[in-house]
Amino acid sequence: MNSIIFKKEIYTYFRSMNYIFLPLIFFFLVISIFPLVIGPNKSLITKIIPGIIWITMIFTTLINSVNFFKDDYNNGVIEMYLTSEKSIEYILFLKIIICWFFTIFPIIIFIPIVSIMFNISLHILTAIFLTLLLGSPILVAIGIFGSALTIGISRNNILGPIITVPFYIPVLIFSASAIESVSNGLPNDLQIYVLLSILLLVLPTMPYLLKYTLRISINN
Amino acid sequence: MKNIDILVDNVSCVRSNNLIFDNISFNLSNGEILFIMGPNGCGKTTLIRTLCGIQNLEDGTIKINNLNIDNPECNFLENLLYIGHNNGLFENLTIYENLEYLNKFDLSNKDEFINNSSQFLKFFKINKYKNYLVSELSQGNKKKVALSRLLFTNKKIWILDEPLSFLDEDSKNNLIKLFLDHINTGGLIITSTHVDFSNYFEKSKYLMMQGIDT
Repeated sequence: MNSIIFKKEIYTYFRSMNYIFLPLIFFFLVISIFPLVIGPNKSLITKIIPGIIWITMIFTTLINSVNFFKDDYNNGVIEMYLTSEKSIEYILFLKIIICWFFTIFPIIIFIPIVSIMFNISLHILTAIFLTLLLGSPILVAIGIFGSALTIGISRNNILGPIITVPFYIPVLIFSASAIESVSNGLPNDLQIYVLLSILLLVLPTMPYLLKYTLRISINN
Repeated sequence: MKNIDILVDNVSCVRSNNLIFDNISFNLSNGEILFIMGPNGCGKTTLIRTLCGIQNLEDGTIKINNLNIDNPECNFLENLLYIGHNNGLFENLTIYENLEYLNKFDLSNKDEFINNSSQFLKFFKINKYKNYLVSELSQGNKKKVALSRLLFTNKKIWILDEPLSFLDEDSKNNLIKLFLDHINTGGLIITSTHVDFSNYFEKSKYLMMQGIDT
């Protein structure tokens, strides 16, 4: 069963490569627009680029996840899931992980290119890389939760992000703090552990929350 | 053969503050088929969704073998196969992959589709499209793929929302034969329909829904 679920999710992404490439293109497009607005102030850009990377990552996950369940809802797949005696929590967990892997992980892989573009030092790059690695799955999971919450509402493109953005704040605070500590020459172990704790709390609980939310949302 | 009795008693449903239907009652047991009929918008799909536990009831009870469907002991989903109006198929998967995946969701059989796939695909004459993505199929063929789930399930309660829509005459006749086989082997079917095909069945029941005038 597990291999068939896994295969099905992989096929979904590979048969529509837009799912993989569009977030990547969007991310790098937005990142490269910032210097045009700020101007050629190198020290300012170097100082604010970690924040820009994180804000852009939030936009990317929001755009990516806002319609996460739309096709499944329109095609009656959610109803099929909810009338199956099989537990769907595992499927929802896999959907979160695979969505992150195919849409956000490629961006993280290409983050060193951003460091070359903006002359980011290696130790700050490492901190950005680590915070994104731990923080972005949380963003994806929360974004998908927003999508599940607004599934039954037509023209819901903005409501989901409005609901989910406040939940991004703790991740943003600890990530920014972790990067700031490294740039000031201080250790960032505490912030990294907090991010790891949030990740370990959110990932296992989110599938149960999603199942409950889908059941309520589909009722309306 | 396990006996199954469905009792629907005075159920009402409200969606978005609108009363969709009220005081619906019927009972059904093995070997019977219920036709839910009525004009568009009268609440047939909503009633079917309440019977599957997807839609909450405003009032009334639905019991299977004297156990309320909300009761965890009832575990009615192990006996129920629901095929909705929207088919429940994955557009980015082929027909074969869809049925292989859906077979895994049906715990009442052990990989029957995977072992006899060509036989099942021939029933609705969709074997030549088996490697087509569902997104490339016509509405009729999509419906046939969804209904193919009926061929490899051992579940006794079939709840179907307008199963005849988009089907050609041959497929309609095949589906009715399939219904007859299921009824004759002690299954029960609840289906919404605009086409009356009750003359094929000895023990059929009707539920005429009128909708609520506001």
